[in-house]
Amino acid sequence: MTAATRSAPARPTRPSTRNRWLATLATLALVVWAMATTGIDFERILRLPEGIGLLFYRMFLETGPEWSFLPNAIEGMLQSIQIAWIGTIIGAVISLPLGLLGARNVSGIFGSNVMRQILNAIRAVPEVILAVVVFIPMVGIGGAASAYAGTLAIGVHSIGTLGKLTAEVVEGIDPGPVEAARAAGGNTLQVQRWGVIPQVMPEIIAFWLYRFEINIRASAILGVVGAGGIGTSLEQAMTFSRFPRAGLIIIVIIVATILVDTASGWLRRRIIEGSTARIEAGDTEGLGSPLRMDSDAG
Amino acid sequence: MTAEAPPAATRPARPRRSPWGIAALLVFAAITWWAASEEFGIGFDVIQLVTNLTRGSQIMGEFFPPNWDYLPRTYGPMLETFKMAVIASALGCGVALFISFLASRVTTPNPPTYLVSRSVLNVIRALPDLLYALIFVAAVGVGPLPGILALFFFNVGVVVKLLSETIDGVDTGPIEAARATGANRTQTVRWAVVPQVLPNYVAYSLYVFELNIRASAVIGIVGAGGIGNNINTERKFFNYDNLVVILIEIFVFVVIIELISIWLRRRLV
Repeated sequence: MTAATRSAPARPTRPSTRNRWLATLATLALVVWAMATTGIDFERILRLPEGIGLLFYRMFLETGPEWSFLPNAIEGMLQSIQIAWIGTIIGAVISLPLGLLGARNVSGIFGSNVMRQILNAIRAVPEVILAVVVFIPMVGIGGAASAYAGTLAIGVHSIGTLGKLTAEVVEGIDPGPVEAARAAGGNTLQVQRWGVIPQVMPEIIAFWLYRFEINIRASAILGVVGAGGIGTSLEQAMTFSRFPRAGLIIIVIIVATILVDTASGWLRRRIIEGSTARIEAGDTEGLGSPLRMDSDAG
Repeated sequence: MTAEAPPAATRPARPRRSPWGIAALLVFAAITWWAASEEFGIGFDVIQLVTNLTRGSQIMGEFFPPNWDYLPRTYGPMLETFKMAVIASALGCGVALFISFLASRVTTPNPPTYLVSRSVLNVIRALPDLLYALIFVAAVGVGPLPGILALFFFNVGVVVKLLSETIDGVDTGPIEAARATGANRTQTVRWAVVPQVLPNYVAYSLYVFELNIRASAVIGIVGAGGIGNNINTERKFFNYDNLVVILIEIFVFVVIIELISIWLRRRLV
């Protein structure tokens, strides 16, 4: 019985979970504090399902959605899509050079840091706030001016998000073509045009499309604050308690958003898979990381 | 000169432009024309834009100098915004953790369940935060409660999408190992899937919290509590110098939260 005398190998010590517990406790404490001090009375929370149920009933069931409003709703939704489209183009055109300048391998550590901070600053202000605080006072409200304000707000906000993504993609490129372009005597602009742009374009176009999807959601609600598109009708319907009409508008927004998402998602996959060389090199990171893609989904 | 000069190497033929690329460009141009035209679209016109902006610069003058005396009156609402974001992130991320497992093919092999949760998720995600706020203000009245509800739905949408995609990509080895030891569905998820996605989950939660700070400033505009309420009041009275103060305050607050969140994420993941 030699085997019995062999001592069992010592069990490895359990890794310490103290920090994890501390973090969990701190988070819980924060949440409890917030809940206790927001001053929401319990009674209102109990009435919540009833309120939501009633609203749902009035919007969709009582008389059904107001289908006669459908042509107007579609017209409003199309305007929202147009606002998102032009806004995305503004953002894309301006963010491309700024994004290049924000990449360390293009403009050096100092230059890229300055540009990144500028892009972060632009990104930090939400579209709706930009529209309300800056662009509606600037270009006015009503008719074409509203759509203008919304377009500009979306465009400016997109510069921030797209610029950041562009800079990140450019920092991940293969330096070979850049060196080759330089060795062939290319000046700074030519190096960007022939060494950098061809490498990053598929991914950046995919980001533009993705941004367009996000911007549709943004433009659908910009009208609520008076910046054009379908949100204007929704805000009016809600203010005057025309719930069946509001229900119809919500349906139109959901359907249109899902349709555009599907089309754009299909196109994005095609663009990315079209650049087979990059996929073979395993360089699909730009789209593989969901967090990066969703950067600033709000 | 007996040796003949070698023939110059012929240049390789240029690859032909893909017809898809040309078609895409045409479609792009057509949509842009449609969207920008006066007749069908929003009438976007660069020249008019510049005139508008010069006229606007006059109004912009009213923004400065910012009225800093207004700042102390925004502390309360800003704190409310922060609390709304905390509660909504906690509730939203908590619920999303469970739904995510239903929305991933790895943990829910049953096609109907999977398809239903995916479709519900798509509908939830199609509605923007401000729209939720508008709906809930109509349903339960003004205040932070509709705001928290709106952010909650928004968070569930974002986290479930990100997390279910992460779950789709987990290593199936531990799952097989857990199943081989006789674990049931719940136990498999708990011991083979959750440990793999936990760091990502924490990162997504922090990310959603960041988004919430920004979003809760916005949804107050339609009456859902927080600093957005102040924006709405001040803009109705054209107090641009107060608006600028709020704008700067939100900006500083968002940047601080982002820095903390980035620091935490780096430590955790």
